[in-house]
Amino acid sequence: MEYLVVLLIFVVFVQTRVMELRRSVVALMAQSVIVACACLLAGLNHGLIHALIPFALTLGVKVIFIPTAMLKLIKRITDEREIFSDINVNYSTLAAAAFLVFGYVLGNRFMLDPMAQDIFAATVMMIMTGLALMVMRKRAILQICGLITLENGIYLLGLIITEGLPLVVELGVFLDVLIAVVVLVILTNRMSLSFMTTDTTVMRKLKG
Amino acid sequence: MELYYILGLPLLFAVVAATNMLGLKLLHIADRLTATVVFGLILDMAVKFACHADEPIRQGFFYVDALGIWMLVIVGTLYLAFAWTSKAYLERDTNIRYGYLRRFTHLEGRFYALSHLFVWTMMLVVTVDSLGLMWVTIEATTLVSALLVAFKFTRTSLEAAWKYVMVCTVGICLALLGTIILYYGQLQAMGNVQPLNWEFMAHHAQMLDHDVAKLAFAFLFVGYGTKIGLAPMHAWLPDAHSEAPALTSGLLSGALCICALYVLLRATAIVMPVVGLDFISNMYVGFGLLTIALAVPFVLVQRDVKRMLAYSSMENFGLLAAGFGLFMPLAAEASLLHMFNHALVKYMLFYTAGTIMETYATKNMMRIHGMMQQAPKTAMFWLLGIVGILGMPPMGVFFSKFYIIASFFQAHHPYLGILALVLLAGMLIGILYHAMRMLGGKPTRKSAGELMGNLDSCVLFLMLAVSGVVSAFAYELPYVGTLLTEAAKIVLGGVQ
Repeated sequence: MEYLVVLLIFVVFVQTRVMELRRSVVALMAQSVIVACACLLAGLNHGLIHALIPFALTLGVKVIFIPTAMLKLIKRITDEREIFSDINVNYSTLAAAAFLVFGYVLGNRFMLDPMAQDIFAATVMMIMTGLALMVMRKRAILQICGLITLENGIYLLGLIITEGLPLVVELGVFLDVLIAVVVLVILTNRMSLSFMTTDTTVMRKLKG
Repeated sequence: MELYYILGLPLLFAVVAATNMLGLKLLHIADRLTATVVFGLILDMAVKFACHADEPIRQGFFYVDALGIWMLVIVGTLYLAFAWTSKAYLERDTNIRYGYLRRFTHLEGRFYALSHLFVWTMMLVVTVDSLGLMWVTIEATTLVSALLVAFKFTRTSLEAAWKYVMVCTVGICLALLGTIILYYGQLQAMGNVQPLNWEFMAHHAQMLDHDVAKLAFAFLFVGYGTKIGLAPMHAWLPDAHSEAPALTSGLLSGALCICALYVLLRATAIVMPVVGLDFISNMYVGFGLLTIALAVPFVLVQRDVKRMLAYSSMENFGLLAAGFGLFMPLAAEASLLHMFNHALVKYMLFYTAGTIMETYATKNMMRIHGMMQQAPKTAMFWLLGIVGILGMPPMGVFFSKFYIIASFFQAHHPYLGILALVLLAGMLIGILYHAMRMLGGKPTRKSAGELMGNLDSCVLFLMLAVSGVVSAFAYELPYVGTLLTEAAKIVLGGVQ
């Protein structure tokens, strides 16, 4: 479990630095694999069935379906050119580090045991970094990655503090994530058709 | 058993419409038939329920009490109105700039399928029994309606839909965090019996930990507040409401936002005994009044007719939040009534705005003059709707707004009451000024003519009349008074 947390933090740090669409989706996939493994490990303490269902769902939805759909979309997008701005990248990495420290401070205040504290800090970092990615990135695909990171963080947090939600709710949440990505992929596809780009900063007509 | 029919029929129709099996004529007929049957079943259920109102219906994952029935009636009424106005709207939707459907006729099936699916998810929101499932269904409404907002796939509608999904999903994720924290509190206090079940939690609320409940409430308030469109998180609302097709805007404004408010009220009823009334009441009233205060200046400078209506919706949601936040029987009943009135009148207004956009081929209010001369029927409905939503005496909204303001004074917050009155007056000046300018003056467009048909004007008139009659005689009419009182008791929880 300790190794998983270290890996997870590493992957999220990498995510803040990746600016290419394809690589960021791969990073997201790696992150989801780690979350699925964490899910399996945490669930094994409470019986096999309890562990296997969320594990299989995470694997199916977040590792296989979502990245595949996004990679397919990337192939169809007309401009794969990246907008590089180094300042932006460095700031977001720094922000992620700050979020990690913040997570440890918060976990310390709740007086969790050291193991739970590590996971707690990692989840806080994921939630905050996901939010930051959605705000700071301009490309639609990268924003979707931020959203999934946020969702993964909340999911992991739920896993450590309550051993997961009731099964029906959990199924519903997975279904929602699935539909959300489908809807976002449709919108991004349309965006690239009618704006010739997936840069969301071109959409600034509606104001006031 | 009835509940399964109510929830099954729209889904069945949506599947059939999506496959494009039916011809266009049959599609319209099936649409009306489904909505009418569903509405009939809902009314039947409401009447049966009102006879012994303190026994909630429990079936599987479903749980319906007085509050749920009241919400179901609101959604069902809008569903009926949608079905009976949709044919006229679709046939008129020929505009080059703002119309889309008639030029691609195969899209009508998809539009119907999505709309019915949207109504179906809203019905699920008000009938499921656990807070977790409520979260799932609220998120589902966001996703289905995002496709409806972007239905025309113009540049502006894409922008609105993108903003809508992004802002609402983040907000709703925070609400999920709140739900998880609440679940944690429940596990700590009561163990793993009936996880997140609303009824169970509301009965055993005292056992929750104070800090955990407060944290959960903060997250839930921000999360669902985003979806309702409360002030600092309202950025998506005017865009989505103004860019969606007119029928969808009506459903979004009339039913969707109050569904989110309903879930927030349910969650509040759980945490209230632990967190204490003051904190919760301050949050509701403060953010409610802030929402009205932010909406007023935007209405004054507005040029887009549907955007103006969207800001007017914000004003009404702010008033609703403030009204519920007083936690008094009178205020709660008035707010529930206001939900109903606002839904009917706002749907009717959005429909009329859609007609005006078709007539004049523009959304810009500065270019619309002389409606009274050119399109008298549309002008009449526009005037009636505007007068209705602003809360002038003969219409239904007057009663509910009056009771809400009166309860401010009854709750010994006279200054807040005066503040609310001043803000409402600002709203009235802004909207009335724009509406009157559109009605009067000399017509500048030669080609514009009357578009409002017979059937849809009947429907619109009926909506206004029903809202007026129900709110004027709420306690004289059979069943309505009982339902309102029982529903208000549920909203208030233990507080009297």
